[in-house]
Amino acid sequence: MNFRVSLLAIGALPLALGCSSSGSCKGDYCGTVVFVTANNPKTLLPPVIDNTGARDIDEQLFLRLADPGMTTNTIGDSGWVPRLATRWEWDDPKTLVFHLDPRARWHDGVPVTANDVAFSFDAYRDPVVNSAARNSLTKIASVTVRDSVTAVFRFKEQYPTAFYDAVYQMWVIPQHLLAQVPRTDWLTAAYGMHPIGDGPYRFVSMVPGQTLELVADSTFFQGRPHLRRLVWKFVTGSTVAVNDIATGQADAIDFLGSPANIDLARKTPGMSLVPYPGSNYMYLELNTRANGDSSEPHPVFGDRDVRRALTMALDRQAMSTNVFGSYSKVPPGPIPQWWPIWDSVRTLPFDSAGAARLLASRGWRLSADGFRSKDSVRLSFEVIFTSTSGARQAYARLMQAQWKSVGVDMQIQPLDQNLIQDRLSSGKFDAVLQGFNSDPTPASGIVQHWTRGAPDHYSHWVNDDFDRLVTQATSVASAKQSKLYWRAALNIINADAPGIWLAAPDNVAAVASRIADVRLRPDSYWALAWTWRIPADRLIDRDR
Amino acid sequence: MGGVWLIRRIAAAAAIVFAVVSITFVAIHLAPGSPFLPPPDRPLDTAVVARLNRQFGLDQPIRVQYVRYLKNLAHGNLGYAFSRGQTVRAALATTIPDTLLLAGTALSLDLGLGLILGVVLAARARRATDVILSNLTLFIYSVPAFWLGLVLVFVFADWLHWFPGGFTNTPGLYENLPFFGQLGDRLHHLALPALTLGLVGAAGTARYQRAALLETLGREFVRTARAKGVRERRVILVHALRNSLLPLITLAGLSLPFLLTGSVLIESVFSWPGMGRMATDAVLARDHALVSGIAMVASAMVVTGSLVADVLYAAADPRIRERAT
Repeated sequence: MNFRVSLLAIGALPLALGCSSSGSCKGDYCGTVVFVTANNPKTLLPPVIDNTGARDIDEQLFLRLADPGMTTNTIGDSGWVPRLATRWEWDDPKTLVFHLDPRARWHDGVPVTANDVAFSFDAYRDPVVNSAARNSLTKIASVTVRDSVTAVFRFKEQYPTAFYDAVYQMWVIPQHLLAQVPRTDWLTAAYGMHPIGDGPYRFVSMVPGQTLELVADSTFFQGRPHLRRLVWKFVTGSTVAVNDIATGQADAIDFLGSPANIDLARKTPGMSLVPYPGSNYMYLELNTRANGDSSEPHPVFGDRDVRRALTMALDRQAMSTNVFGSYSKVPPGPIPQWWPIWDSVRTLPFDSAGAARLLASRGWRLSADGFRSKDSVRLSFEVIFTSTSGARQAYARLMQAQWKSVGVDMQIQPLDQNLIQDRLSSGKFDAVLQGFNSDPTPASGIVQHWTRGAPDHYSHWVNDDFDRLVTQATSVASAKQSKLYWRAALNIINADAPGIWLAAPDNVAAVASRIADVRLRPDSYWALAWTWRIPADRLIDRDR
Repeated sequence: MGGVWLIRRIAAAAAIVFAVVSITFVAIHLAPGSPFLPPPDRPLDTAVVARLNRQFGLDQPIRVQYVRYLKNLAHGNLGYAFSRGQTVRAALATTIPDTLLLAGTALSLDLGLGLILGVVLAARARRATDVILSNLTLFIYSVPAFWLGLVLVFVFADWLHWFPGGFTNTPGLYENLPFFGQLGDRLHHLALPALTLGLVGAAGTARYQRAALLETLGREFVRTARAKGVRERRVILVHALRNSLLPLITLAGLSLPFLLTGSVLIESVFSWPGMGRMATDAVLARDHALVSGIAMVASAMVVTGSLVADVLYAAADPRIRERAT
């Protein structure tokens, strides 16, 4: 046997050893979809999850009162789809009443009741539980039980995203299983590794860092899911994940990332690309206070005109094309593509000559070494970013080259994410290249990053007019008026340039072509997997 | 071989493990960060991180945490791995078998293939086969294992589609397979990572074995055998080879640390869910307890391997045995 034949023999070993499936599923309720991801969940208990991997799984295990439709509208209840609640009505402008579906059951057979809804709200609001959604629930005064299938939400004020806050921020969790578990222990609770939910799929098993399996609940009150099994495969990174897609080891990946990965998936037989609006944006945040001394202005970024000049010196469209090909847009502010406020706000143009003039007018003169200086101090700063991101590496080099052409000395410093967080918290940085993955509403993302006193307000940029407009945008009842306030606020932040908005990538997923009825909801890619199916004539071994 | 010698060696091994665990514990606690930091795209609430650090005792001085860790260790409690949502003991129990499977297969390849190649090289010394294979083994020995792994993935997984590019089995299909199907699936997935680690090791082993065999072939008893008319194949395989195997025992002992450190990268390249990949994730997540647990197990495996090699060496060589008593 020659070498080549030997290798072929090894490659065919599984077949030789009987690699045919012993499954015997036939008909409309077969099918196994293998999702591949690098986001390994630490727990599946909804209030304490902290990554999109856990979120995707919980979408199948637990129910909200209602789900956003494909439009992911956050103002009012237009487009929202009943889930645990069959209907809802406003008793008055600050009182929202939900009527639960009496057929809903936890997977252990216990009925889902309004007590579970009130318990869930209490848990999500509890600082001990520390839910990521806690800050989004502060405008809800209380959740009470009218009867076993009626829950009443009372709000502190009337505001446009009240319905969204009430239904989207929390999954309903079982009081009868969690009330006795001390909330200080929820992060490590056994329930989080073996959850009992009320969604279309039941939990089967999880090996942390390896795989997780769910099986369809054949008695699910909203209809039996067509796919029999959902399997998650946890891998080390996006390269391995994309490779799994290319070799048919997995059926679905939520985010392909680079143009090369997208091309690879496109050329893979049996794989379809599914584009959907992007939920993240990449930006350079400029520290307006001195590196390590927040009492002093930053020698470079403390000057508004210099920040504007630095923005104008960058050809952001060219950089976006260079790194993401045609799969990204330059954002008109700190916003991802899917927010409804993405429109024509005023942005600073690419104008390197104008940037050079502006820098010169602020006293930054070109020296013999090709760099600008002022009072013998060079126009120099350091940009930090997480060392594991190829896109940020590429952006850092491109920015460095473009700024050098106008006499700006930018130092590149890739760091471990823990070090970055440490330096951001202590203010020991000049500028940080970041990405932000957003909720469906700007009310959380923009407030959280750019308003005075916000938890992630690392730039220390303060503008009272901006803060006032953001407050108005998030409290006005009319969607149209809200959008006008957002636009005015974005015009202010763009003019002041405390950050440089670099890219808002499109999201492109890949899903096996044998799967039918594939729809991806922009806010939660796999949320509708329970409505997918595989026609009987397309089943493969692992589907049976 | 003396019992005292063995007891001394075991005590030294235990001391090494203790030192490694202690140094790792201090180092990982001194590194900035916390196991409770949210992902980069989520809001950081420093008060919450502080509360969680307090709740799990991570706000205490290192010496206090260290003493508590040792006390827990004495009771068999290795702590909780926050990055995986399970106890450290459970995390190790899940990953050690996969690491041992990979390292064991790679070690078998390393020694088996290396031995065969070494014999071929020595038998064909200074001929074309020797020159070509020597340069080839030198090349493979010189390349980083992760690079070789990437090349193998590109050629055999992406291009030829003969092998999967990673993981231990085919999720979704594996559970439905009969026993031999599962075995085949596991071997299919094991092939590329084991080949990567094994090939690099085998290249080194072949070069050692070539030198050892050539030295033995020049000895008096080999010349005597040849003079008596024993066939060359028998001279090499029976007379000379047996006497040149001693260094291989040492080499096997030394290979274990190489395989374990190599597996950190190889497991990441192939998404092999073993201890190496878990170590990388744990360090990045500042999972103090898990990092310390992995360091303890890895150092215990290395010193045990070294100890076994010493014992075997002493058992095989009467001169060493004499010195040990």
